Amino acid sequence: MKMEDMSLSGLENTKLEALAHDVYSDLVEDACLGLCFEVHRAVKQGYFFLDETDQESMKDFEIVDQPGVDIFGQVYNQWKNKECVCPNCSRSIAASRFAPHLEKCLGMGRNSSRIANRRIASSNNTSKSESDQEDNDDINDNDWSYGSEKKGELMHSNPNSPRRSKSLKHKNGELSSNVNPELYKYNYSSGISYETLGPEELRSILTTQCGVVSEHTKKMCTRSQRCPQHTDEQRRAVRVFLLGPSASALPDSDTMLENDGYDAPDGQLIMSRLQWDGSSDISPSDSASSKASTNNSESKRPKKKKKPSTLTLTTTGSGGERDKGQERERGDRDRVVSGGSGSSSSQNALALSSRKKRPKLPVPPALSIYDDLN
Amino acid sequence: MFSVKMSSEYCVFMYVALAVRARNYVAFNRSRFLFQINMSKESQMRAAINQKLIEMGERERLKELLRAKLIECGWRDQVKALCKEVIKEKGLENVTVEDLVAGVTPKGRALVPDSVKKELLQRIKAFLSQHST
Repeated sequence: MKMEDMSLSGLENTKLEALAHDVYSDLVEDACLGLCFEVHRAVKQGYFFLDETDQESMKDFEIVDQPGVDIFGQVYNQWKNKECVCPNCSRSIAASRFAPHLEKCLGMGRNSSRIANRRIASSNNTSKSESDQEDNDDINDNDWSYGSEKKGELMHSNPNSPRRSKSLKHKNGELSSNVNPELYKYNYSSGISYETLGPEELRSILTTQCGVVSEHTKKMCTRSQRCPQHTDEQRRAVRVFLLGPSASALPDSDTMLENDGYDAPDGQLIMSRLQWDGSSDISPSDSASSKASTNNSESKRPKKKKKPSTLTLTTTGSGGERDKGQERERGDRDRVVSGGSGSSSSQNALALSSRKKRPKLPVPPALSIYDDLN
Repeated sequence: MFSVKMSSEYCVFMYVALAVRARNYVAFNRSRFLFQINMSKESQMRAAINQKLIEMGERERLKELLRAKLIECGWRDQVKALCKEVIKEKGLENVTVEDLVAGVTPKGRALVPDSVKKELLQRIKAFLSQHST
Protein backbone atom coordinates (compact mmCIF):
# COMPACT_ATOMS: atom_id res chain seq x y z
CA MET A 1 0.00 0.00 0.00
CA LYS A 2 2.69 2.31 0.90
CA MET A 3 4.47 1.82 -2.28
CA GLU A 4 1.36 2.54 -4.11
CA ASP A 5 0.80 5.59 -2.08
CA MET A 6 4.24 6.75 -2.74
CA SER A 7 3.99 6.14 -6.37
CA LEU A 8 0.66 7.80 -6.35
CA SER A 9 2.04 10.81 -4.56
CA GLY A 10 5.01 10.69 -6.89
CA LEU A 11 2.58 10.88 -9.71
CA GLU A 12 0.86 13.64 -7.96
CA ASN A 13 4.14 15.39 -7.55
CA THR A 14 5.05 15.15 -11.13
CA LYS A 15 1.62 16.28 -12.04
CA LEU A 16 1.96 19.14 -9.64
CA GLU A 17 5.30 20.05 -11.09
CA ALA A 18 3.98 19.91 -14.58
CA LEU A 19 1.11 22.04 -13.54
CA ALA A 20 3.37 24.54 -11.88
CA HIS A 21 5.51 24.67 -14.95
CA ASP A 22 2.56 25.35 -17.09
CA VAL A 23 1.42 28.15 -14.87
CA TYR A 24 4.90 29.59 -14.87
CA SER A 25 5.28 29.58 -18.61
CA ASP A 26 1.91 31.17 -18.94
CA LEU A 27 3.09 33.99 -16.72
CA VAL A 28 6.34 34.47 -18.60
CA GLU A 29 4.56 34.55 -21.87
CA ASP A 30 2.24 37.19 -20.53
CA ALA A 31 5.22 39.28 -19.56
CA CYS A 32 6.82 38.94 -22.97
CA LEU A 33 3.61 39.84 -24.68
CA GLY A 34 3.16 42.88 -22.51
CA LEU A 35 6.62 44.07 -23.38
CA CYS A 36 6.06 43.55 -27.08
CA PHE A 37 2.88 45.56 -26.98
CA GLU A 38 4.67 48.38 -25.21
CA VAL A 39 7.50 48.44 -27.70
CA HIS A 40 5.15 48.29 -30.62
CA ARG A 41 3.15 51.21 -29.32
CA ALA A 42 6.32 53.20 -28.71
CA VAL A 43 7.47 52.54 -32.24
CA LYS A 44 4.18 53.54 -33.77
CA GLN A 45 3.91 56.65 -31.60
CA GLY A 46 7.46 57.57 -32.40
CA TYR A 47 9.04 57.76 -28.97
CA PHE A 48 10.91 54.52 -28.98
CA PHE A 49 14.24 55.93 -30.08
CA LEU A 50 13.98 59.21 -28.20
CA ASP A 51 16.67 58.52 -25.62
CA GLU A 52 19.33 57.94 -28.21
CA THR A 53 21.26 60.29 -30.43
CA ASP A 54 23.76 59.61 -33.13
CA GLN A 55 26.76 57.55 -32.40
CA GLU A 56 29.17 60.46 -32.15
CA SER A 57 27.29 62.25 -29.46
CA MET A 58 26.83 59.03 -27.59
CA LYS A 59 30.57 58.63 -27.50
CA ASP A 60 31.14 62.20 -26.43
CA PHE A 61 29.02 61.93 -23.35
CA GLU A 62 29.86 58.48 -22.28
CA ILE A 63 30.44 57.88 -18.61
CA VAL A 64 34.10 58.21 -17.72
CA ASP A 65 35.53 55.74 -15.29
CA GLN A 66 39.12 56.76 -14.72
CA PRO A 67 40.86 57.43 -11.45
CA GLY A 68 41.45 61.04 -10.52
CA VAL A 69 38.61 62.20 -12.70
CA ASP A 70 34.87 62.45 -12.17
CA ILE A 71 32.33 60.79 -14.41
CA PHE A 72 32.25 63.76 -16.73
CA GLY A 73 35.97 63.60 -17.18
CA GLN A 74 36.74 66.75 -15.20
CA VAL A 75 39.64 66.93 -12.82
CA TYR A 76 38.75 67.82 -9.27
CA ASN A 77 41.53 70.06 -8.06
CA GLN A 78 42.65 71.36 -11.36
CA TRP A 79 43.16 74.91 -10.22
CA LYS A 80 44.93 74.13 -7.00
CA ASN A 81 48.38 74.32 -8.39
CA LYS A 82 47.84 77.21 -10.71
CA GLU A 83 49.22 80.57 -9.77
CA CYS A 84 48.08 83.98 -10.80
CA VAL A 85 50.04 87.17 -10.95
CA CYS A 86 48.47 89.98 -8.99
CA PRO A 87 48.13 93.06 -11.18
CA ASN A 88 48.59 95.31 -8.21
CA CYS A 89 51.63 94.06 -6.41
CA SER A 90 52.94 91.76 -9.13
CA ARG A 91 53.27 88.81 -6.88
CA SER A 92 52.29 85.37 -7.88
CA ILE A 93 49.50 84.10 -5.70
CA ALA A 94 47.89 80.69 -5.45
CA ALA A 95 44.63 80.56 -7.34
CA SER A 96 42.46 79.72 -4.40
CA ARG A 97 43.89 82.58 -2.39
CA PHE A 98 43.76 85.07 -5.19
CA ALA A 99 40.44 86.68 -4.48
CA PRO A 100 41.08 87.43 -0.81
CA HIS A 101 44.54 88.68 -1.62
CA LEU A 102 43.16 91.03 -4.22
CA GLU A 103 40.70 92.33 -1.71
CA LYS A 104 43.45 93.25 0.69
CA CYS A 105 45.80 94.39 -1.96
CA LEU A 106 43.42 96.86 -3.55
CA GLY A 107 41.94 97.83 -0.24
CA MET A 108 38.47 97.36 -1.54
CA GLY A 109 37.00 94.46 0.25
CA ARG A 110 34.68 94.48 3.17
CA ASN A 111 37.38 93.89 5.68
CA SER A 112 40.17 95.89 4.22
CA SER A 113 39.13 99.24 5.56
CA ARG A 114 38.52 97.77 8.93
CA ILE A 115 41.91 96.19 9.05
CA ALA A 116 43.60 99.33 7.89
CA ASN A 117 41.88 101.45 10.47
CA ARG A 118 42.71 99.05 13.15
CA ARG A 119 46.27 98.88 12.17
CA ILE A 120 46.68 102.56 12.19
CA ALA A 121 44.89 102.93 15.44
CA SER A 122 46.93 100.32 17.13
CA SER A 123 50.17 101.62 15.81
CA ASN A 124 49.15 105.04 17.04
CA ASN A 125 48.16 103.47 20.25
CA THR A 126 51.45 101.82 20.87
CA SER A 127 53.37 104.80 19.66
CA LYS A 128 51.36 107.00 21.94
CA SER A 129 51.96 104.79 24.88
CA GLU A 130 55.65 104.91 24.22
CA SER A 131 55.69 108.60 23.90
CA ASP A 132 53.90 108.75 27.18
CA GLN A 133 56.81 107.13 28.80
CA GLU A 134 59.28 109.52 27.37
CA ASP A 135 58.06 112.41 25.48
CA ASN A 136 60.45 112.13 22.64
CA ASP A 137 61.40 109.40 20.33
CA ASP A 138 64.01 107.83 22.39
CA ILE A 139 65.98 105.20 20.65
CA ASN A 140 67.12 103.66 23.83
CA ASP A 141 63.67 102.74 24.77
CA ASN A 142 62.74 101.50 21.39
CA ASP A 143 63.90 98.05 22.18
CA TRP A 144 61.57 97.89 25.08
CA SER A 145 58.66 99.24 23.17
CA TYR A 146 59.28 97.27 20.07
CA GLY A 147 59.65 94.21 22.16
CA SER A 148 56.21 94.71 23.51
CA GLU A 149 54.98 95.27 20.03
CA LYS A 150 56.45 92.06 18.81
CA LYS A 151 55.03 90.19 21.66
CA GLY A 152 51.70 91.69 20.93
CA GLU A 153 51.92 90.66 17.34
CA LEU A 154 52.86 87.17 18.16
CA MET A 155 50.09 86.70 20.55
CA HIS A 156 47.33 87.97 18.41
CA SER A 157 47.81 86.88 14.91
CA ASN A 158 44.36 87.02 13.53
CA PRO A 159 42.65 90.30 14.10
CA ASN A 160 39.80 89.59 11.80
CA SER A 161 38.68 86.30 13.12
CA PRO A 162 35.25 86.28 14.67
CA ARG A 163 36.45 84.76 17.87
CA ARG A 164 38.33 87.85 18.71
CA SER A 165 35.33 90.07 18.57
CA LYS A 166 33.19 87.62 20.46
CA SER A 167 35.48 87.37 23.40
CA LEU A 168 35.89 91.05 23.67
CA LYS A 169 32.36 92.14 23.18
CA HIS A 170 31.02 91.06 26.45
CA LYS A 171 33.96 92.41 28.33
CA ASN A 172 33.35 95.99 27.62
CA GLY A 173 29.84 96.13 26.46
CA GLU A 174 30.73 98.52 23.79
CA LEU A 175 28.74 98.66 20.67
CA SER A 176 31.58 98.44 18.29
CA SER A 177 34.08 95.81 19.02
CA ASN A 178 36.48 97.37 16.67
CA VAL A 179 37.50 99.96 19.11
CA ASN A 180 38.47 97.73 21.95
CA PRO A 181 40.89 95.38 20.32
CA GLU A 182 42.49 98.20 18.53
CA LEU A 183 43.37 99.84 21.70
CA TYR A 184 45.50 97.24 23.25
CA LYS A 185 45.95 94.26 21.13
CA TYR A 186 47.18 94.82 17.68
CA ASN A 187 50.25 96.55 16.50
CA TYR A 188 50.58 97.41 12.92
CA SER A 189 52.87 99.79 11.28
CA SER A 190 50.80 100.96 8.38
CA GLY A 191 49.13 104.28 8.46
CA ILE A 192 48.72 107.50 6.62
CA SER A 193 51.67 109.74 6.24
CA TYR A 194 50.59 113.29 5.84
CA GLU A 195 53.68 114.28 3.95
CA THR A 196 52.68 112.36 0.90
CA LEU A 197 49.20 113.70 0.63
CA GLY A 198 48.01 116.70 -1.28
CA PRO A 199 45.93 119.38 0.31
CA GLU A 200 42.68 118.15 -1.08
CA GLU A 201 43.27 114.69 0.17
CA LEU A 202 44.37 116.06 3.48
CA ARG A 203 41.23 118.05 3.76
CA SER A 204 39.08 115.12 2.89
CA ILE A 205 40.84 112.92 5.34
CA LEU A 206 40.72 115.49 8.06
CA THR A 207 37.03 116.01 7.67
CA THR A 208 36.31 112.37 8.11
CA GLN A 209 39.03 111.08 10.33
CA CYS A 210 40.76 112.04 13.48
CA GLY A 211 44.00 112.76 11.73
CA VAL A 212 46.13 113.43 14.73
CA VAL A 213 49.72 112.83 13.89
CA SER A 214 51.36 110.27 16.03
CA GLU A 215 54.66 111.36 17.39
CA HIS A 216 56.17 108.01 17.13
CA THR A 217 55.31 107.03 13.63
CA LYS A 218 54.52 110.40 12.11
CA LYS A 219 51.29 109.04 10.81
CA MET A 220 47.78 110.25 11.03
CA CYS A 221 45.22 108.62 13.14
CA THR A 222 42.57 107.09 10.93
CA ARG A 223 39.97 106.63 13.54
CA SER A 224 36.83 108.63 13.71
CA GLN A 225 36.55 112.22 14.77
CA ARG A 226 35.61 111.09 18.18
CA CYS A 227 38.39 108.69 18.75
CA PRO A 228 39.15 108.57 22.40
CA GLN A 229 42.85 108.52 21.97
CA HIS A 230 43.10 112.07 20.89
CA THR A 231 41.61 115.22 22.14
CA ASP A 232 39.83 117.76 20.06
CA GLU A 233 42.64 120.07 20.73
CA GLN A 234 45.02 117.71 19.11
CA ARG A 235 42.80 117.39 16.14
CA ARG A 236 42.46 121.07 15.76
CA ALA A 237 46.17 121.48 16.08
CA VAL A 238 46.79 119.01 13.36
CA ARG A 239 44.40 120.72 11.08
CA VAL A 240 45.92 124.07 11.70
CA PHE A 241 49.30 122.59 11.14
CA LEU A 242 48.42 120.84 7.92
CA LEU A 243 45.97 123.13 6.32
CA GLY A 244 46.92 126.55 7.53
CA PRO A 245 45.71 128.49 10.52
CA SER A 246 42.43 129.64 9.11
CA ALA A 247 41.59 126.47 7.33
CA SER A 248 40.95 124.32 10.25
CA ALA A 249 37.42 123.20 9.93
CA LEU A 250 37.21 120.78 12.74
CA PRO A 251 33.53 120.43 13.24
CA ASP A 252 33.57 119.73 16.87
CA SER A 253 35.89 121.72 18.86
CA ASP A 254 36.49 125.04 17.19
CA THR A 255 33.73 126.95 18.78
CA MET A 256 34.36 125.34 22.06
CA LEU A 257 37.91 126.36 21.93
CA GLU A 258 36.96 129.89 21.20
CA ASN A 259 34.60 129.92 24.06
CA ASP A 260 37.20 128.83 26.41
CA GLY A 261 39.56 131.35 25.11
CA TYR A 262 42.03 128.69 24.69
CA ASP A 263 44.63 129.25 22.09
CA ALA A 264 45.98 126.05 20.83
CA PRO A 265 49.47 126.37 19.55
CA ASP A 266 50.73 124.39 16.66
CA GLY A 267 52.52 121.21 17.15
CA GLN A 268 52.23 119.44 20.38
CA LEU A 269 49.10 120.72 21.97
CA ILE A 270 49.10 118.09 24.51
CA MET A 271 52.00 119.39 26.41
CA SER A 272 50.26 122.62 26.99
CA ARG A 273 47.05 120.96 27.86
CA LEU A 274 48.12 119.32 30.96
CA GLN A 275 45.98 121.72 32.83
CA TRP A 276 42.45 120.78 33.22
CA ASP A 277 40.02 122.71 31.15
CA GLY A 278 37.05 122.00 33.10
CA SER A 279 36.37 118.75 31.54
CA SER A 280 34.87 116.37 33.86
CA ASP A 281 37.09 113.43 33.99
CA ILE A 282 35.68 111.12 36.42
CA SER A 283 38.05 108.95 38.26
CA PRO A 284 36.82 105.54 39.02
CA SER A 285 36.56 106.36 42.65
CA ASP A 286 34.49 109.34 41.85
CA SER A 287 32.37 107.69 39.31
CA ALA A 288 29.62 106.86 41.64
CA SER A 289 29.41 110.27 43.14
CA SER A 290 29.86 112.23 40.05
CA LYS A 291 27.68 110.16 37.84
CA ALA A 292 24.62 111.99 38.85
CA SER A 293 26.24 115.28 38.24
CA THR A 294 27.52 114.24 34.91
CA ASN A 295 24.15 112.97 33.95
CA ASN A 296 22.75 116.30 34.76
CA SER A 297 25.44 117.95 32.85
CA GLU A 298 24.68 115.84 29.87
CA SER A 299 21.15 116.94 29.75
CA LYS A 300 22.04 120.52 30.10
CA ARG A 301 24.80 120.40 27.64
CA PRO A 302 24.61 122.88 24.83
CA LYS A 303 24.20 121.66 21.35
CA LYS A 304 27.63 122.74 20.37
CA LYS A 305 30.33 120.25 20.15
CA LYS A 306 32.37 119.54 23.15
CA LYS A 307 35.66 121.01 23.82
CA PRO A 308 38.01 118.20 24.33
CA SER A 309 39.69 117.88 27.59
CA THR A 310 42.86 116.20 28.31
CA LEU A 311 42.64 113.29 30.52
CA THR A 312 44.98 111.73 32.79
CA LEU A 313 44.54 108.12 32.52
CA THR A 314 44.88 107.18 36.04
CA THR A 315 42.11 109.35 37.13
CA THR A 316 39.57 109.14 34.49
CA GLY A 317 37.62 106.17 33.57
CA SER A 318 34.72 107.31 31.62
CA GLY A 319 35.71 109.65 28.94
CA GLY A 320 32.58 111.09 27.93
CA GLU A 321 31.09 113.24 30.47
CA ARG A 322 31.93 116.74 29.80
CA ASP A 323 29.79 119.71 29.79
CA LYS A 324 31.08 123.12 29.27
CA GLY A 325 29.40 125.05 31.92
CA GLN A 326 29.29 122.72 34.80
CA GLU A 327 32.43 120.98 34.03
CA ARG A 328 34.53 123.85 35.02
CA GLU A 329 33.39 123.60 38.53
CA ARG A 330 33.62 119.96 38.64
CA GLY A 331 36.87 120.05 36.84
CA ASP A 332 38.32 122.00 39.67
CA ARG A 333 37.08 119.53 42.12
CA ASP A 334 38.39 116.70 40.06
CA ARG A 335 41.65 118.37 39.72
CA VAL A 336 41.96 118.49 43.40
CA VAL A 337 41.18 114.86 43.62
CA SER A 338 43.60 113.98 40.97
CA GLY A 339 46.17 116.40 42.12
CA GLY A 340 48.27 113.77 43.68
CA SER A 341 48.45 111.86 40.54
CA GLY A 342 48.98 114.92 38.50
CA SER A 343 52.63 114.33 38.07
CA SER A 344 52.23 110.84 36.86
CA SER A 345 49.32 111.80 34.82
CA SER A 346 51.29 114.41 33.05
CA GLN A 347 53.31 111.70 31.57
CA ASN A 348 50.20 110.06 30.44
CA ALA A 349 48.67 113.21 29.20
CA LEU A 350 49.57 112.46 25.70
CA ALA A 351 48.24 109.04 25.88
CA LEU A 352 45.00 107.69 24.90
CA SER A 353 41.80 108.61 26.24
CA SER A 354 40.78 112.07 26.00
CA ARG A 355 37.27 111.44 25.25
CA LYS A 356 35.29 113.58 23.04
CA LYS A 357 31.94 113.81 24.59
CA ARG A 358 28.82 113.10 22.67
CA PRO A 359 25.64 113.20 24.55
CA LYS A 360 24.80 109.67 23.99
CA LEU A 361 28.01 107.79 24.07
CA PRO A 362 29.98 107.87 27.23
CA VAL A 363 33.16 105.99 26.86
CA PRO A 364 33.27 103.41 29.57
CA PRO A 365 35.84 103.56 32.28
CA ALA A 366 37.36 100.35 31.25
CA LEU A 367 39.09 101.96 28.33
CA SER A 368 41.25 104.24 30.30
CA ILE A 369 42.13 101.57 32.72
CA TYR A 370 43.58 99.53 29.97
CA ASP A 371 45.32 102.53 28.62
CA ASP A 372 46.87 102.99 31.92
CA LEU A 373 48.19 99.52 31.82
CA ASN A 374 49.97 100.29 28.62
CA MET B 1 -27.14 -23.01 -59.30
CA PHE B 2 -24.40 -23.85 -57.24
CA SER B 3 -25.07 -26.03 -54.47
CA VAL B 4 -26.21 -23.94 -51.70
CA LYS B 5 -24.57 -26.31 -49.56
CA MET B 6 -22.18 -24.16 -47.51
CA SER B 7 -19.45 -25.86 -45.83
CA SER B 8 -19.44 -25.58 -42.13
CA GLU B 9 -15.88 -24.52 -42.16
CA TYR B 10 -16.66 -21.45 -44.09
CA CYS B 11 -19.38 -20.60 -41.72
CA VAL B 12 -17.09 -21.00 -38.84
CA PHE B 13 -14.53 -18.83 -40.48
CA MET B 14 -16.97 -16.09 -41.10
CA TYR B 15 -18.15 -16.22 -37.62
CA VAL B 16 -14.71 -15.99 -36.18
CA ALA B 17 -13.73 -13.01 -38.30
CA LEU B 18 -16.77 -11.20 -37.23
CA ALA B 19 -16.11 -11.95 -33.66
CA VAL B 20 -12.59 -10.73 -33.82
CA ARG B 21 -13.59 -7.57 -35.47
CA ALA B 22 -16.21 -6.94 -32.92
CA ARG B 23 -13.81 -7.48 -30.12
CA ASN B 24 -11.22 -5.23 -31.58
CA TYR B 25 -13.66 -2.54 -32.08
CA VAL B 26 -14.87 -2.73 -28.59
CA ALA B 27 -11.41 -2.92 -27.12
CA PHE B 28 -10.18 0.06 -29.00
CA ASN B 29 -13.04 2.14 -28.09
CA ARG B 30 -12.71 1.17 -24.54
CA SER B 31 -9.13 2.28 -24.38
CA ARG B 32 -10.01 5.52 -25.96
CA PHE B 33 -12.75 5.94 -23.59
CA LEU B 34 -10.46 5.31 -20.68
CA PHE B 35 -7.95 7.78 -21.96
CA GLN B 36 -10.52 10.43 -22.27
CA ILE B 37 -11.62 9.85 -18.77
CA ASN B 38 -8.14 10.36 -17.42
CA MET B 39 -7.45 13.40 -19.49
CA SER B 40 -10.60 15.09 -18.58
CA LYS B 41 -9.88 14.48 -14.93
CA GLU B 42 -6.58 16.21 -15.28
CA SER B 43 -7.86 19.02 -17.32
CA GLN B 44 -10.67 19.42 -14.92
CA MET B 45 -8.20 19.72 -12.13
CA ARG B 46 -6.21 22.15 -14.10
CA ALA B 47 -9.15 24.26 -14.91
CA ALA B 48 -10.16 24.22 -11.29
CA ILE B 49 -6.74 25.28 -10.12
CA ASN B 50 -6.46 28.02 -12.64
CA GLN B 51 -9.76 29.28 -11.56
CA LYS B 52 -8.65 29.27 -8.01
CA LEU B 53 -5.50 31.15 -8.85
CA ILE B 54 -7.44 33.87 -10.51
CA GLU B 55 -10.18 34.04 -7.98
CA MET B 56 -7.88 34.37 -5.04
CA GLY B 57 -5.81 37.05 -6.75
CA GLU B 58 -2.76 34.90 -6.57
CA ARG B 59 -2.23 35.06 -10.28
CA GLU B 60 -2.09 38.85 -10.23
CA ARG B 61 0.35 38.82 -7.39
CA LEU B 62 2.52 36.33 -9.18
CA LYS B 63 2.41 38.42 -12.30
CA GLU B 64 3.50 41.53 -10.46
CA LEU B 65 6.24 39.68 -8.71
CA LEU B 66 7.54 38.35 -11.98
CA ARG B 67 7.45 41.78 -13.61
CA ALA B 68 9.36 43.38 -10.79
CA LYS B 69 11.97 40.69 -10.74
CA LEU B 70 12.47 40.80 -14.48
CA ILE B 71 13.00 44.54 -14.47
CA GLU B 72 15.37 44.26 -11.54
CA CYS B 73 17.55 41.66 -13.16
CA GLY B 74 17.78 43.55 -16.43
CA TRP B 75 15.78 41.12 -18.49
CA ARG B 76 13.50 43.85 -19.73
CA ASP B 77 16.36 45.86 -21.22
CA GLN B 78 17.80 42.79 -22.87
CA VAL B 79 14.51 41.95 -24.52
CA LYS B 80 14.11 45.58 -25.55
CA ALA B 81 17.45 45.35 -27.29
CA LEU B 82 16.18 42.26 -29.09
CA CYS B 83 13.13 44.21 -30.15
CA LYS B 84 15.36 46.96 -31.50
CA GLU B 85 17.13 44.47 -33.65
CA VAL B 86 13.87 43.10 -34.99
CA ILE B 87 12.76 46.63 -35.77
CA LYS B 88 15.96 47.45 -37.58
CA GLU B 89 15.53 44.28 -39.49
CA LYS B 90 11.98 44.78 -40.52
CA GLY B 91 12.07 48.54 -40.89
CA LEU B 92 10.59 51.09 -38.53
CA GLU B 93 7.37 51.63 -40.37
CA ASN B 94 6.26 48.09 -40.99
CA VAL B 95 6.76 46.39 -37.74
CA THR B 96 3.76 44.48 -36.47
CA VAL B 97 3.04 42.99 -33.14
CA GLU B 98 3.23 39.53 -34.53
CA ASP B 99 6.70 40.21 -35.86
CA LEU B 100 7.86 41.28 -32.53
CA VAL B 101 6.23 38.49 -30.66
CA ALA B 102 7.50 35.86 -32.98
CA GLY B 103 10.97 37.28 -33.00
CA VAL B 104 11.32 37.87 -29.32
CA THR B 105 9.30 35.45 -27.26
CA PRO B 106 11.36 32.30 -27.59
CA LYS B 107 14.59 34.12 -26.79
CA GLY B 108 12.87 35.99 -24.05
CA ARG B 109 11.74 32.83 -22.40
CA ALA B 110 15.27 31.54 -22.44
CA LEU B 111 16.72 34.72 -21.05
CA VAL B 112 14.82 34.55 -17.78
CA PRO B 113 17.44 33.99 -15.07
CA ASP B 114 17.31 30.84 -13.06
CA SER B 115 16.84 32.49 -9.72
CA VAL B 116 13.70 34.18 -10.89
CA LYS B 117 12.39 30.98 -12.38
CA LYS B 118 13.05 29.01 -9.25
CA GLU B 119 11.44 31.48 -6.99
CA LEU B 120 8.33 31.66 -9.07
CA LEU B 121 8.01 27.92 -9.36
CA GLN B 122 8.38 27.64 -5.63
CA ARG B 123 5.56 30.01 -5.00
CA ILE B 124 3.30 28.29 -7.49
CA LYS B 125 3.92 24.91 -6.02
CA ALA B 126 3.27 26.20 -2.56
CA PHE B 127 -0.04 27.54 -3.70
CA LEU B 128 -0.94 24.35 -5.49
CA SER B 129 -0.11 22.10 -2.61
CA GLN B 130 -2.18 24.30 -0.36
CA HIS B 131 -5.20 24.48 -2.50
CA SER B 132 -5.36 21.35 -4.60
CA THR B 133 -8.15 18.99 -3.62
